[in-house]
Amino acid sequence: MKRLLHPPLILGTIVLAGVVVMALLAQRLFPGDPMDMVAVPFTWPGQDETVPLGSDLMGRDLLAGIFHGARVSLLVGASAATIALTIGVTIGAISGFYGGAADAALGRITEFFQTIPAFLLAVILVAIMRPSIGTIILALGISSWTGVARLVRAEFLTLREREFVRASEALGASDLHLITREILPNALTPILASTGILVAQAILSEAGLSFLGLGDPNLISWGSMIGIGRDALRTGWYMSAIPGAAIMLTVVALNFLSDGLHAVLSPRTSLRNA
Amino acid sequence: MKKTHTDTAATNGRGLDRRTFIELTGALLGSTVLGGVPHAAHALDKALPNTIDGAVKGGTLDALIHPEPPTLASFINTSTPGRAVFSKIFDGLLDYGPDLAPRPQLAESWETSKDGLVWTLHLRKNVFWHDGTPFTSADVKFSADVIWKKYAPTARRVLRHLASAEAPDEHTIVLTLTQSTPVLINALDAVAAPVLPKHLYEGTDVPNNPHNNAPIGTGPFVFKEWVRGSHIALERFDKYWQPGRPFLNKLTWKIITDVAGRANALETGVVQYGERNPVTFADADRFKTSDKLIVSTEGYNGFSGTLWLIPNWRDPILSNFKVRAAILHAIDRQLLTKTVWGGYAVPATGPVSSLLKPFYEPATPQYAFDKKKAEALLDEAGFPKKADGWRFKLTHDFIPFGDDYRRTGEFVRQALRAVGIDVELRSLDLATWTKNVFTDYNFQLVSSWGINWQDPQLGIEQHFWSKAESKGTPWFNASGYASQEVDALFEDAQGQTDADKRIADYKQVQKIVQRDLARLDLFEFRWFGVWDKRLRNVTDTFDHSQNNFAHVWWDQTA
Repeated sequence: MKRLLHPPLILGTIVLAGVVVMALLAQRLFPGDPMDMVAVPFTWPGQDETVPLGSDLMGRDLLAGIFHGARVSLLVGASAATIALTIGVTIGAISGFYGGAADAALGRITEFFQTIPAFLLAVILVAIMRPSIGTIILALGISSWTGVARLVRAEFLTLREREFVRASEALGASDLHLITREILPNALTPILASTGILVAQAILSEAGLSFLGLGDPNLISWGSMIGIGRDALRTGWYMSAIPGAAIMLTVVALNFLSDGLHAVLSPRTSLRNA
Repeated sequence: MKKTHTDTAATNGRGLDRRTFIELTGALLGSTVLGGVPHAAHALDKALPNTIDGAVKGGTLDALIHPEPPTLASFINTSTPGRAVFSKIFDGLLDYGPDLAPRPQLAESWETSKDGLVWTLHLRKNVFWHDGTPFTSADVKFSADVIWKKYAPTARRVLRHLASAEAPDEHTIVLTLTQSTPVLINALDAVAAPVLPKHLYEGTDVPNNPHNNAPIGTGPFVFKEWVRGSHIALERFDKYWQPGRPFLNKLTWKIITDVAGRANALETGVVQYGERNPVTFADADRFKTSDKLIVSTEGYNGFSGTLWLIPNWRDPILSNFKVRAAILHAIDRQLLTKTVWGGYAVPATGPVSSLLKPFYEPATPQYAFDKKKAEALLDEAGFPKKADGWRFKLTHDFIPFGDDYRRTGEFVRQALRAVGIDVELRSLDLATWTKNVFTDYNFQLVSSWGINWQDPQLGIEQHFWSKAESKGTPWFNASGYASQEVDALFEDAQGQTDADKRIADYKQVQKIVQRDLARLDLFEFRWFGVWDKRLRNVTDTFDHSQNNFAHVWWDQTA
């Protein structure tokens, strides 16, 4: 229990919980469309109490945008990470478990994807398929699984040769049983730790895509808010700074969480702490 | 002292040195005639009057060009940045003033036969190409026979009925037409009817001629070099036909792709001129308060344009007049021009911009912002609000020309959702958008924009004339609108030799298409330029992007 008092883990959890609560309450607290123009454009934070964080250059409420944007960021982060994990774990597991020709073939595929810069691949995919929340999630998932695949493959390569796996194999367990019941649970710690980073990466990439104008035009997201604010950077920097701070806090929180999970769950550090 | 300054600038030709010198001159002036130098503390949104009184020769100008022109062959590709450079290197037969009236350039005078079929142009003498070859009527004849008929987009349309171009002597050109073409008088500028050197182009593969991107023209500035991604350098032409012109020694176009970079360059004086919205609206407002820069919307009377929504008349919902009227009633265009376009636009009253004064008709049916009326019209049209609060679904594909156009799309989406139209905004890439709209006619409501030019036949006709519908040709009638009345008026205007009757035709067209809501014109653009307040005469033109800069000079006393 003492191990859970790891400070970054606590801090990360609190901030992330805050973002989740914001996302959940967005519709209740700001029932209107966050894209509606409700205030005088260029209202600075604190100038008008109906829009506490001010308005952007089209008069949209920044606070409502931050709350509704949290939903998009979390949705994209979680969904893209799920896709990346699914692809990465599957390919990594097969590569590491079977080795040989399967490993060689999948290794080449992984390398192929690794040689293309992930963000550029996402930009191309989104540009080809029309920008919408679904295509963005798909593109970010497809462009970010290689790290997981490498990690899982390495874990499987070492665990595959361990006694408990050999024993299970001797007892006549099927490949599926070996992969899912014996090896995967033991490889879970590094996967879990990298998940936080994956989510953070997806949130950042979505912001990047929206900033470049490749976001879903029907949804407000933190990245698109920064993109809009960019035009008024010299006269209304708060329009970019506020959603920028939201992204930074969320990504830092996810990194803390991931670090903390690693520290807490890893057998080596837990031995040291104990 | 002023003279020394300009000479120094001429010899070393370095922007930085010149600037330091200007500052020095300013400081000296300030100390000697204390208080004699007017330092305007008020906003500079009006340029100093256009005049050449007191003009001094010399100086260099570093100007912004954005985006980088794809080519300098403006007789094939008429892109606006290409036009800006091309027009300094090539003079046209005619030029046009801010009032859109023709002004002599390479043609000193002209006359038309009564039936409008024979045009005689008297060319200026002692005009030279930049390589020293004399300019003659043979160059014009060659341009008419080859360039106007095969390449130049505007000339190809306007001069469909050109039967022959003859050169009875070295300085006369006679154009014979099979049908009168009154629009010709408004389409003889350097880009619409380009005049190329016969001795360099005759018998060559024109689109691949090496001179396309190292042009030899007759204009006030000689092409020096084009370093892609960096700059295009032009220098004064010493044998220019007008004595003493141009005033400037050098004109360098700096290519700065980033909008914030352009703002910094203007602010620090690295460049002293930029036009056609070189910086963001927020930065333009900031520059207005500076006492060094002018932000002005003058000089675009012949480059006026509107932004509109194209409703697809083939669509069962949008073919309903009441729906189209409701859409226009639902959009607060005053607010749109203020919030999205920073005040650099005004609500349009119809397809012709009010800047195109000779042809503009203000008395057209109007559809003011009125949400209640919009909702009532939609109810009447048979689209009541359903249980989920929506009347019908509609896709809106904004024209992918940049953030301002995207935000206009967002504004339209919010406005229509407010009256119960469930709008899905779609962000398409330009190739897909163009194919959907102009080739497949596969759209419901899209935004688009265009320029009126000097004459409605150049900028309006193709959007409404049903015979202009041409599958696959971008910016030609895509809505599917067809009106016999409008067609007849356009066809009459094409050959109408009575100028007043021709104007009346176009005014009637505006009334009808606005009555029918053939398309939904939202606002007129007000392009703005930013330049050093000492720069004189930049707006003395019909199209700021096409001023040849022969008369532009540095006024160090300003």
